[in-house]
Amino acid sequence: MASFIQHTILQNDFILHHNRTVFWEQEKLLILSDLHLGKTGHFRKSGIAVPAAIMKEDMQRFIAAIQFFKPQEVVIVGDLFHSVENKEHELFLKWRNDLKYVPMRLVKGNHDIVPDKWYKKAGIIIEEKQWTHHQFHFVHQPEHIPENIDDADAYYFSGHLHPAISIKGLGKQSLRFPCFYFTGQYCVLPAFGKFTGTYRVEPLKNEQAFAIVENSVIPCS
Amino acid sequence: MKGANSPGHRVIIDWLAQTGRLPFDFQAQTWQHIINNKNGLVNAPTGCGKTYSVFLGSIIQFINQHPQQYLTKKNNGLQLLWITPLRALAKDIARAMTEVIESLGMAWKVGIRNGDTELKERAQQKKQMPEVLIITPESLHLLLAQKNYPDIFKSLRIIAVDEWHELMGSKRGVQTELAIARVVNAQFQLTGKWSLVWGISATIGNLEEAKEVLLHPLKRLYTLRNNTDAGNDHSVIVKANLHKQTQIESIFPDEIEKYPWAGHLGIKLVEKVLPIIYNSRTTLVFINTRGMTELWYQSILAAAPDLAGAVALHHGSIEQELRLWVEENLHTGRLKCVVCTASLDLGVDFRPVETVIQVGSPKGVARFLQRAGRSGHSPDAVSKIYFLPTHSLELVEAAALKQAVEENFIESKPPMILCFDVLIQYLCTIAISDGFYADSTFEEVCSTFCFAAMQREEFEGILSHITAGGKALHQYDEYKKVEIMDGDLFKINSRRIAMQHRMHIGTIVSDAMLKVKFMSGGYIGVIEEWFISRLEPGDSFTIAGRNLELVMIKDMTVLVKKSTAKKSIIPSWQGGRMSLSSNMGKKLRAALSLSHKKNNIPELNILKPLFKLQNLLSHVPKEDELLIEHIETKDGFHLFVYPFEGRLVHEAMAAILAWRISQITPITFSFAMNDYGFELLSDQPIPLDDSNVYELFSEEHLFEDIQRSVNSTEMAKRKFRDIAVIGGLIFQGYPGEYKKARHLQSSASLLFKVFEEYEPNNILLKQAYREVFDQQMEETRLRDMLQRIQRSKVVITVPQQLTPFCFPLKVDSMRENVSSEKLEDRVKRMQQQLKD
Repeated sequence: MASFIQHTILQNDFILHHNRTVFWEQEKLLILSDLHLGKTGHFRKSGIAVPAAIMKEDMQRFIAAIQFFKPQEVVIVGDLFHSVENKEHELFLKWRNDLKYVPMRLVKGNHDIVPDKWYKKAGIIIEEKQWTHHQFHFVHQPEHIPENIDDADAYYFSGHLHPAISIKGLGKQSLRFPCFYFTGQYCVLPAFGKFTGTYRVEPLKNEQAFAIVENSVIPCS
Repeated sequence: MKGANSPGHRVIIDWLAQTGRLPFDFQAQTWQHIINNKNGLVNAPTGCGKTYSVFLGSIIQFINQHPQQYLTKKNNGLQLLWITPLRALAKDIARAMTEVIESLGMAWKVGIRNGDTELKERAQQKKQMPEVLIITPESLHLLLAQKNYPDIFKSLRIIAVDEWHELMGSKRGVQTELAIARVVNAQFQLTGKWSLVWGISATIGNLEEAKEVLLHPLKRLYTLRNNTDAGNDHSVIVKANLHKQTQIESIFPDEIEKYPWAGHLGIKLVEKVLPIIYNSRTTLVFINTRGMTELWYQSILAAAPDLAGAVALHHGSIEQELRLWVEENLHTGRLKCVVCTASLDLGVDFRPVETVIQVGSPKGVARFLQRAGRSGHSPDAVSKIYFLPTHSLELVEAAALKQAVEENFIESKPPMILCFDVLIQYLCTIAISDGFYADSTFEEVCSTFCFAAMQREEFEGILSHITAGGKALHQYDEYKKVEIMDGDLFKINSRRIAMQHRMHIGTIVSDAMLKVKFMSGGYIGVIEEWFISRLEPGDSFTIAGRNLELVMIKDMTVLVKKSTAKKSIIPSWQGGRMSLSSNMGKKLRAALSLSHKKNNIPELNILKPLFKLQNLLSHVPKEDELLIEHIETKDGFHLFVYPFEGRLVHEAMAAILAWRISQITPITFSFAMNDYGFELLSDQPIPLDDSNVYELFSEEHLFEDIQRSVNSTEMAKRKFRDIAVIGGLIFQGYPGEYKKARHLQSSASLLFKVFEEYEPNNILLKQAYREVFDQQMEETRLRDMLQRIQRSKVVITVPQQLTPFCFPLKVDSMRENVSSEKLEDRVKRMQQQLKD
């Protein structure tokens, strides 16, 4: 079992990594989605005692991914933060300052509600709805991808769904894992943050899913 | 008797005599004990004046205290606090009490305090408490969240807990224990005195323990006052000893061969129910789950359209107004039939009810008797109950029930121990009102039965949980709930958090519920979030007897319109899944054993064809046998085991057996269970045979195996659902702030996952595992079962096809995601395969 899988779209090569990120080799772009940073802080501030360690570990995985791929740019396809500002955002800023040489771009998701000036302070370029690089487009919600696009010269990356796939075996065994989900027109990334639920997708015949099973990526379908 | 001549006593005796009545012995005894300042438990069935025992005792006490002015004395402050488990009961009890007070000419007032009480009335109560307050445990905790709440209880003389048998085995019982401890201690601190505590309970196997649990907090006060442990001298059990006759009759299908083996709701027998409804004044039809009540209601109406308007539906998710209307019309006898769930198990009598029909297994002797008792009200009348099986094998349960009722073989209710989730909620509650101090609160909490064995370190762990929110890892943490103030007072200061907490108190048993409303505005009821989240807009579902189409979910409200769809999905409320009691299991094994001999039990005789087939394909186990079936199907290799111990024990046993077999060879199982047995299913042959079966069911290393297998199953995860809600981890949202509320929502299963990964020592997570150990994997019950198996003859068969016994198991196990119609089709198909 591989800790990553190479996947080719429109003659470009993408690495699907078990750390829930995609790396675009030709452009050295690290793509990820739905980090929901600050979610634990938001809960804890309201007296709901979820483990504070989640945020810290999410950040550590984020840093590790950047150190591993050494990308020229990081693209987040939405939901970098979970809600309104809290102190965990400060923790992010502190860390961002240490890694300020990495350009970072955010295509805003429905959870990204902190004011624009905050992103400026954090050195994050924001895109309201969509960002396009060569023939690849980046949006948050797959619903916002136009229908009837020509597969040959456009492909979309998105998030929002937190896709998971359930793998069934004989004897009614069934297991569920977060996954990368590819259709002919677009890809849905798994949620990067660990304090997130999942939504079960059922790939059609011509679609593909790659399950993240602990430290490996396994093609399904 | 000294009290028999007391002024109060004479007033009440005279008053009863005016209507030609005499007190029952148990009522007079209770009055006497109250006059003598005793605490206790009244053991009396529903429908024979149990309310009068404690309530009139309280009146007598008051008259004795004010023999001259008892008629005119007004605004006396709270005298009697009446705790009742169901808010549906409150109105009826209040009405009965008010009638007595008015008839006596007294100036007492009776008030109700529960989730349905309007704001205006609450405000009035705050100004002037009525003499009698009828309250649910949740609302009592809400009172404790009010500033200066101890003043309310200054004048209180008696705390009565109605239906204590119903509360005791649950976390609401723990809530009640904590509230009683707080109230009597608050009184003691203010006045040096405290209230008498009286419970009222139907018959259960452990009445003595029920009394001890209820009165436990008083022990400490008696000791403080007298410097002796005198608790027991101050308490009594009063038994009504009214033996009510119960007549049980099973409803048989015409052709048992054609009656389904599983997966049905009994609706095929609706035609047999109609004559019963027509021939009796009012009939209650008890159904185990809310979803099934909807279907039954519609089927009765479809079969007998002339009953329209005279048939009604009653369950916990129906809007209050409708519920009250149904209860009102039950009293007046205008309804011919009410289809209901446990929501009508308890409470005052509906006199017109002459007949009760139980659909499906009642799972326990006590519950069955309680339901039977809803009919035939005068103490010498016979209670008549019909048993309607939803599948063939359930008829064996009917035979078992009859035997158990004859022997009065009634279950015990084990009290709950060390429920830290409830304690966390309670500490936050008293942190809202006046705050609390660690030392005195520790002692007070330990005076309850539930927390008697709590260690100081455990309590410190809980305090740290509510003040620091578990492990705070970095300086960027902003956890805030309970704060430690000057003088070490624990207090919640944030108004927002206080409001959020108050909204949580009421939700102790329910799942996240959403309101269901018409697009045009009318309110219909509530529905569990997990059910509705599986539907798409345009799908139809049924609630409150209406077919509705989902339009959208907005602001935590489900908007619907009327549906014209023929088929609709019936929500399966999860609350309805109960496990068979061990008493029932024992009688069931005995009844099956009898089927081998000549007998005159109608239920067993009608099942002869089924037993014959089971014997042909496999075997019908006798009392001293354990049946195990190996069956291979296209799904894989099945192992069916039939201990007849109830679903919960089977789940535990299945987990342990799966663990033990997986030690022989690498293998993966999925498993399913019902009240009769359990199934292990694997994609490879299961290595269990004559040579190792006794070893696999050995009680050696049981404790270690329990610990190892519990981690690999869903049991703790399921327990965690309730715990997360009670412990305040699941946010229900507050009115007007939907967006923010959405950002605070998460599912219990996600929380379970992250705690497992990031904070395995979390106090609430550990509670989930402990509950599995204490309640489900209860070592003694498992050990008893294994010892029984060791003494039994294990019969292993290898049927070539599915047997009648394994059928319900096979069907139940796939029930999860399949709607009722499709399920029936599937069952039909499977049955067909079987016959081919």
